[in-house]
Amino acid sequence: MPLYICNAKAGCVPEAAKARIAEDVTRIHCEVTGAPPTFVHVFFFEDGPNPPLADKQAVLYGQIRSGRDDAQKARIRQDMGASLATHCELSSDQFAVFTTDTPASWVMEGGDVLPEPGEEAAWLAAHEAKMAAQQDTAP
Amino acid sequence: MIHCVCMVQEGQVSPGQEAELRRETSAFAARHFGAEPQINWVRIAKGNGFTEAKPSNSVIVSMNADRSLAPSAREPLLRELCEIWERSAGLSPNEVVTVIRDPQTQGG
Repeated sequence: MPLYICNAKAGCVPEAAKARIAEDVTRIHCEVTGAPPTFVHVFFFEDGPNPPLADKQAVLYGQIRSGRDDAQKARIRQDMGASLATHCELSSDQFAVFTTDTPASWVMEGGDVLPEPGEEAAWLAAHEAKMAAQQDTAP
Repeated sequence: MIHCVCMVQEGQVSPGQEAELRRETSAFAARHFGAEPQINWVRIAKGNGFTEAKPSNSVIVSMNADRSLAPSAREPLLRELCEIWERSAGLSPNEVVTVIRDPQTQGG
């Protein structure tokens, strides 16, 4: 978490652009929120049911941890929208970007409940130490 | 109604593992939330899943509970669900994301 789901009409997102959009989404999310890139998942679908496309060519939906402020969310929408527009050659009325909040305590990743925003560095250090200890004791 | 979305990367789970995971995940929901879930099994096509901007090996299992849960009650359930997927799919902890939501919330 975060999980970004990009649903688009068939052919709207060129195959070669998916990795670049995923790079942009990961970079933007980390720059805006301070989250580590290891947390960021980006999945692409064509003509999938969710998020609904309605009249759009592409919709990017991010499930992000609660605690981000309105300015951070606005920058996420703006910068990720710019990435979609560039890589898919879409005008601003042809795509949408939105996010919803999920409490960190509702999510487990790597066997640990996710940290609250701002506590990522300590979480990562503890998690990596735990993983290393488990490897040392593995048969 | 308990809803569960299981997002897996194409080729990551064999048909036999999928059947086992569906059975174990359903049993988990029945045991803890009083009903078998409606499972939406979603495969991420090759080249369409990225974690840390690299090809993804992550599965995401998101389920709603039948009631609001305190953190002390939610964590062991998250862990049990994670362990089911590690064991039945042969995944590492770093490849499994589990989400247990309170009722009436959106998302997958």
